[in-house]
Amino acid sequence: MSPAREPVPRPVSWPGSRLVTQIDALTGRSLRALVLDPRVLATSLLAPFLMLAMFSQVFSGMTAGSHFPEGIGYIDFLAPAIMVNTSLQSGMLAGTNLSDEMRNGIVARFKVMPIWPGSVLIGRSLAELIRSLLRLTVLLLAALALFGFRPGGGVAGVIAGAGVAVVLGWGLGWIFIAIACWLRGAELIQNVSGAMLFPLMFASNAFAPVEGLPGWLSLIARINPMTYGIDAVRDLTLRGAAGLDAVIAVTASLSIAVVSLFVAERGFSRIH
Amino acid sequence: MAPLPHAAGGGARMSAAIEVRGLAKRYRDVVALAGVDLTVPQGTVHGLLGHNGAGKTTLVDVLATRARPSAGTARVAGLDVVRQARHVRRRIGLTGQYASIDEQLGGRDNLVLLARLLGARRAEARARADELLQLFGLTASATRPARTYSGGMRRRLDLAAALVNGPRVILLDEPTTGLDPAGRLDLWRIVRALVQDGAAVLLTTQYLDEADRLSDTITVLSRGRVVAGGTPAELKHRVGRRSATVRFAAAADLEAAGRALRRGGFRPAPAGERRAVTVPVERAGELAALVRVLDDAGLEPDELLVADPTLDEVYLALMSDPAATPEAVR
Repeated sequence: MSPAREPVPRPVSWPGSRLVTQIDALTGRSLRALVLDPRVLATSLLAPFLMLAMFSQVFSGMTAGSHFPEGIGYIDFLAPAIMVNTSLQSGMLAGTNLSDEMRNGIVARFKVMPIWPGSVLIGRSLAELIRSLLRLTVLLLAALALFGFRPGGGVAGVIAGAGVAVVLGWGLGWIFIAIACWLRGAELIQNVSGAMLFPLMFASNAFAPVEGLPGWLSLIARINPMTYGIDAVRDLTLRGAAGLDAVIAVTASLSIAVVSLFVAERGFSRIH
Repeated sequence: MAPLPHAAGGGARMSAAIEVRGLAKRYRDVVALAGVDLTVPQGTVHGLLGHNGAGKTTLVDVLATRARPSAGTARVAGLDVVRQARHVRRRIGLTGQYASIDEQLGGRDNLVLLARLLGARRAEARARADELLQLFGLTASATRPARTYSGGMRRRLDLAAALVNGPRVILLDEPTTGLDPAGRLDLWRIVRALVQDGAAVLLTTQYLDEADRLSDTITVLSRGRVVAGGTPAELKHRVGRRSATVRFAAAADLEAAGRALRRGGFRPAPAGERRAVTVPVERAGELAALVRVLDDAGLEPDELLVADPTLDEVYLALMSDPAATPEAVR
């Protein structure tokens, strides 16, 4: 450090940053971390494609079931569910990746800075949302090009459906962020998050109509915001319009987001 | 232990940079701090010395608003660390034992990000980052990810990160751990420059010479308690004495010297090295007498060394003496 003999940093008088600036700066940082490693980016883009490939093959016999809507190909039934689940997975990643993030030295520094700790979490979740848009784009292109997905809702319907899917996954993702903020240890966070993910994913109408599920499971499916979200995304992509389902899905996921953000922030900034 | 009278009450009160009173911190059944008092005036370095587990980091954590005290008060720049945490955060600079930087980002991006979070506009933030990079000799590696930095560069970036807001109170938790000797000297120089500029620095260390050379005042912690405090010179005087170390080539000579010195009224003690004894010598006359005693006994030492006690000896003496409560030390 030979240059630093006498000189010292000049004094500064900054007023402190606004919340918008904090979120902007922190989202930018998280986003760079998400796209910095090309291998991580590539595999994250591949995951929804694999999900589509697997489920479309394994469950393709489903259309024979008595509860299956007539005149709809399984891929058209499945693709919207994969869109929603891709987005939900992104939401989960926003939480489970937090345990890595907690080990990043700069997060320790954020905690002793005069900023709202919640903006660190919001930055992460927004960065993950942007990546989730990227994943959805790749998924939709693959579904159209390779799997014969022919959405009747047209471009506008598909975009609106993707919008609902993103909001739903982002909102529910805050549950996983809250889990990560209150639990210590990557494995524990993974396990608990996995235990949350499966009922959200499968106790829904994602892969089979609710009417075809066993009684107890269909009960859970009926209170699962995912069910309403998937219905809304199906309506939008396949018919170009959606009803109350979309409102319920968006309202429910945003409410969950707000409550979970509050819970997460408490956990994240708690001191001992 | 506070060397300066601690400012009390009154409207014209000039508050100390750091003021800690009766601070206690328990983690479940572990007592990390058991009633610590400490005052660090602006423009001085205070060294916090202790073993691992003595409570140094806990004290830094409380001052940095990262841990909540169980009892007592801590004020930084006159602000309460619990009730005015956010204001405290605006005024402190902190480096922990591990570099608190984003390893994936380059040095410049780290500093720009922190400056923006502290309220600088983009252009200001970039200017501040460049200023600090220059100051810490990191300009050439500004865009390389910090994970490719050497340990010394990481430390420098971490310190630069702590100084983005131009803090007047700087908390350094073992800042030179893992640094090579050149890196330590560099860091010392920076700390001195900051203090000359009027900042207050609280520095924890396990290196005794570091505390000795850098600090205006020192607090020695052991198991969450203050066991000694004062200026480095005061500490040395309190515990240690000036002593002579006498070394012989032959073991027989050493024994003979021990007998002769005891007869002459000295109190020789094994020096910890083979074939040497240390003898407390407070005045120059005693040293002359010591040489005479050895001469009369026909003994010629290989080496005769007179030295003030090192802080190391002070520290070991304090730590090994169970009665070394603050009262006993004084």
